[in-house]
Amino acid sequence: MRDGQPTVLPGFGLTLGFTTFFLSAVVLLPLAALVLLAASTPLHQLIDAVASPRALASYRLSFGGALLAASINLVFGFIIAWTLARYEFPGRRLMDAMIDMPFALPTAVSGIALTAVFSANGWLGHYLDLAGIHVAYTRLGVVLAMTLIGMPFAVRTVQPALLEVQRDLEDAAETLGAGRWYVFRRVVVPAVLPAMLTGFTLAFARALGEYGSVIFISGNLPMKTEITPLLIVIHLEEFDYRGAAALGFVMLAASFVILLAINLLQAWGRDRLVRRGA
Amino acid sequence: MAAGAHSEALEELDTRPGRETIVSALVRRGLIGLSVAFLAALLLAPLAVVFATALQHGLQTYFRTFADPDTRAAIRLTLLTALVVVPINTVFGLAASWAIAKFEFRGKSLLLTVIDLPVAVSPVISGMLFVLVFGMRGWFGAWLAANGISIVFAIPGIMIATLFVTFPYVARELIPLMQQLGNDEEEAAITLGAGAWMTFFRVTLPKIRWGLLYGVILCNARAMGEFGAVSVVSGHIRGLTNTMPLAIEALYNDYDFTGAFAVASLLTLLAVLTLVLKSLVERTGYRRW
Amino acid sequence: MAPVRCPGVSITLDQLTKRYQGVPVVNDVSLEIGDGEFFVLLGPSGSGKSTLLRAIAGLSGLDHGRIALHGRDVTHVAARRRGVGLVFQNYALFRHMTVAENIEFALRVRRMRAAERRRRRQELLRLVALEGLDERLPAQLSGGQQQRVAVARALAHKPEVLLLDEPFGALDAKIREGLRRTIREVQRELGITTILVTHDQEEAFAMADRIGVMNLGRLLENGRPQDLYVRPATRFVATFLGAANLLLARQGGDGPRWGAWPALHGSGASTPREREVVAVVRPEEIEIARSREALTSATYLGHGIVEEVVFTGALERARIRIEEAPDAPILAHANGDGAVLLEATRAQFEQRAFAISPGQSVTIGVRRAHILPTPLSSFTICAPNSSAAERLAGNPLLLDLSSRMKTRLRKHLEPMLGTSTPIRDTTASLPGTTVIAAGGDVAADTKWLLEHGVEEILILPEHAPSPQRVLIHWTDDTARRATLAVSASVLRHVAAEAVYVDVLPEQTPVAERSSGIRALLDARSEARAAHGLEIRTEMRFGVAAEALQQRLEESPAQMLIVGIGRVSQLTGELGELLARPRWPVLLVHREREAPAHSRSAA
Repeated sequence: MRDGQPTVLPGFGLTLGFTTFFLSAVVLLPLAALVLLAASTPLHQLIDAVASPRALASYRLSFGGALLAASINLVFGFIIAWTLARYEFPGRRLMDAMIDMPFALPTAVSGIALTAVFSANGWLGHYLDLAGIHVAYTRLGVVLAMTLIGMPFAVRTVQPALLEVQRDLEDAAETLGAGRWYVFRRVVVPAVLPAMLTGFTLAFARALGEYGSVIFISGNLPMKTEITPLLIVIHLEEFDYRGAAALGFVMLAASFVILLAINLLQAWGRDRLVRRGA
Repeated sequence: MAAGAHSEALEELDTRPGRETIVSALVRRGLIGLSVAFLAALLLAPLAVVFATALQHGLQTYFRTFADPDTRAAIRLTLLTALVVVPINTVFGLAASWAIAKFEFRGKSLLLTVIDLPVAVSPVISGMLFVLVFGMRGWFGAWLAANGISIVFAIPGIMIATLFVTFPYVARELIPLMQQLGNDEEEAAITLGAGAWMTFFRVTLPKIRWGLLYGVILCNARAMGEFGAVSVVSGHIRGLTNTMPLAIEALYNDYDFTGAFAVASLLTLLAVLTLVLKSLVERTGYRRW
Repeated sequence: MAPVRCPGVSITLDQLTKRYQGVPVVNDVSLEIGDGEFFVLLGPSGSGKSTLLRAIAGLSGLDHGRIALHGRDVTHVAARRRGVGLVFQNYALFRHMTVAENIEFALRVRRMRAAERRRRRQELLRLVALEGLDERLPAQLSGGQQQRVAVARALAHKPEVLLLDEPFGALDAKIREGLRRTIREVQRELGITTILVTHDQEEAFAMADRIGVMNLGRLLENGRPQDLYVRPATRFVATFLGAANLLLARQGGDGPRWGAWPALHGSGASTPREREVVAVVRPEEIEIARSREALTSATYLGHGIVEEVVFTGALERARIRIEEAPDAPILAHANGDGAVLLEATRAQFEQRAFAISPGQSVTIGVRRAHILPTPLSSFTICAPNSSAAERLAGNPLLLDLSSRMKTRLRKHLEPMLGTSTPIRDTTASLPGTTVIAAGGDVAADTKWLLEHGVEEILILPEHAPSPQRVLIHWTDDTARRATLAVSASVLRHVAAEAVYVDVLPEQTPVAERSSGIRALLDARSEARAAHGLEIRTEMRFGVAAEALQQRLEESPAQMLIVGIGRVSQLTGELGELLARPRWPVLLVHREREAPAHSRSAA
């Protein structure tokens, strides 16, 4: 097969050329700079940057927090998607539109707003404080911010899957005598499981890299509430490009693993309907 | 949108015999309540607090923020950035989706992965990439300094970083749409003697217009609101290289909460406007997923 | 409550009604299906047949009516406890389960032991000819195989009733054939009562013991395929089940007479008049010959010119333009545009006996014609001038009615109409239902028309929404039968509910009230028995005109059908109501009981 075939449509060279050029200039070139810089760094220096106690603490918070946030979103994302897909109630359309708010709202805004709401004298933080729960300037605050920005991913991947599975399959199961809980466990969940896991992974990826909404509420105490992206910024501000690049390389590697995981998940979602697997 | 059919389906679900038992009514109320509570705490309260804080000292204080020249400069810079970045990314999105959706070639999936990259990586890393290339100690740093060109810690850096962060939005919207719509109409136009541009403007563009608009809206929202990547390359020079999100951070760190939330309220309105436009586009029957 | 088991009846539907946003999508459907019967619900898309099936399965609630399976009332029983098997158009197999898991699903729900499940599964797979595919996933099967799995799955729990919702819709012709045979064999072997929903009449003929035809939410007719084909009671069934030519004819004492209404007629109701009727002539009942003498069939129809001849293998299909002549037959759906042609099909032996080609002039005969029992044959718009006639002709309700009835819309100008001038052209004849505008002096117009022998008058206000409810009322028992017949005919062509309103005087003694109720029930059973029409009944007290007016005020989308026995009732009891109606009103006038129609619908 020749490239560009078999269609008679024009513009293959022009559009592919422009796309490739743009991506090379804007993405590949800077990426190469990062990789080369990280690769040219002496190994001990690299290990110092990547495995310093401060860096390790930041990984724990970033990865652990993102994992926790994504798990919360796995549960609540499903509940919200289910509510939107299954129930008619006043304000459903509004709620549906609101889900995308964290996409549209600049992260700096959600950062300061969350901080204001959950700080010790904030609307909700006040009550939580009375209950002995401190959100702002703690790891809990970091998880909260990560949950907020990952939420749309969790809802928007599950929602269409739920809408799709709904009608006929559930109807079929019901006429065959299955109760609602049985239908849910044996028909609905298996059908939307790939979508749920994809949503989980997307929410995790977004939470891992998040910067704007986290730094305001986290308090940024080294070793305690400092996320990895912030550590990179600190390195950059100190003109420690090698240290920043090393940490960036770690994060980038994590991103690639996540991208791979998403692709594998989607392939699995398609695959298990064709092949008898695990 | 499919909302009409969906509502009908919901109506039918509700009227089924044996549908509304006590347990299912409880489950239903519980789940709706849980969803509402979750979204109220995480979304509504922060939105409300933005306006409440911005207006806590009255309208006069609110508007005084926008009289400040640094704030005005930040607003101008944000608008300028969007004005430059969004058209470029629109053209890129159209080109990339045309090449990918209409043709078969080797390396297509690699190209798709590269387009997805900015969405997957941390915005901080996106900004850092350009510091590494154009920064003082970066690849071209010495050469740029010698020729008196400043990119990092200057407006071009902000533009490039924003470009990087926002270019996937139009393309990711259009590629699945074009793939789904197929090539039949374009091929028909070509066989009827239409030229390439005519085919594009008269056949393809009208077909994908809602998807394009959708992508542009999202791209614009992200371009105006980007914080992490811009923060790394901007240098935070007030009145010069601060965009609105950066101005929010600066005011906030100065303990000028009213000012910070006043600027934030503008960006919140932008977000609301984005969602409204998005819903309007969806109402034309364009479906996202 | 002890289940009342009616021997032989498996499914009983009683006045099922389901509305979406006020519009009835299933409209008063009553039906009984016998044990082991294969019943096909046939209708165009949107006719409500799938909704009806889903209601029987318990997947859709009802606004009105009851469902019983084997004498057990299941109206409020959830789908999972109804014991029905349902097969979907797009299979609806659980895609993450194997064929075996899919088939065993219902058994697993019922906690059947594994060994027993396996035995049952293998039995079912043998039944649908899919042995050995147990461990496949649905995506690894062809569409036909998937649908066989779906059938096996639906039968696993030994349901009392099998429901099939367009099961062949997604399959191509060859596979369809095989699956059809399998389903029919399985059904016979198990003796299971089955309802199949389809829009394909060929499929219906191939599979059904009995066919029910649905349109606009109503079950129009049901019966054995051959009965419905040969003696349909409604135009819809006549034209939906196979091809049909609809001809307007005059029915007098001695059989149908073709051709136009005589120009001079009806100077009063004194002479026994002929009625206009609709005749169904199947294309294969048309004979084509060289000349009138060469016709072997009894009835001569007219002359025509062959427009088109298409060879289709076993049969030859011809389209013939009827030559204009005073006694030329009138095609019901020809509205003067000349595009409608007579359809004829001829077997090989006929083609050999007399070959035809386009352009040829031929003589047409009819071997067999079936007269529809409908009292609404065609519409004649009666208006003072042509612009008023045009306006009436564009009325949405009239357009809907005439196009759904596939019937003629004539225009007749009556310059003095709408004025109170007594001088009028009384020589005109007005066949069919006369249509007038509600704008003018309605009372005078109707009075004059009725006095000149018109029996049905449709009074149309300019902006009336398509009715969702039709109120039926008669002031005089002599008009009862005709009013019910007219109502049945109208209601087959609009998506509306029918309500018979009986009005008793305010001071009716209690003893007489019960006789009023009996009258209501009589009306309902007469509508059902004679016309297959399901109606609701209501009793009101007071003055008829006021009670009806009150009921009509409730919502705008209504229509009124009123039967009267004497012209004087127009100005008397109903004068108020008819002064300037805001709703479409169909007036039915019968001085005496009309002779029964040639055939009343079974």
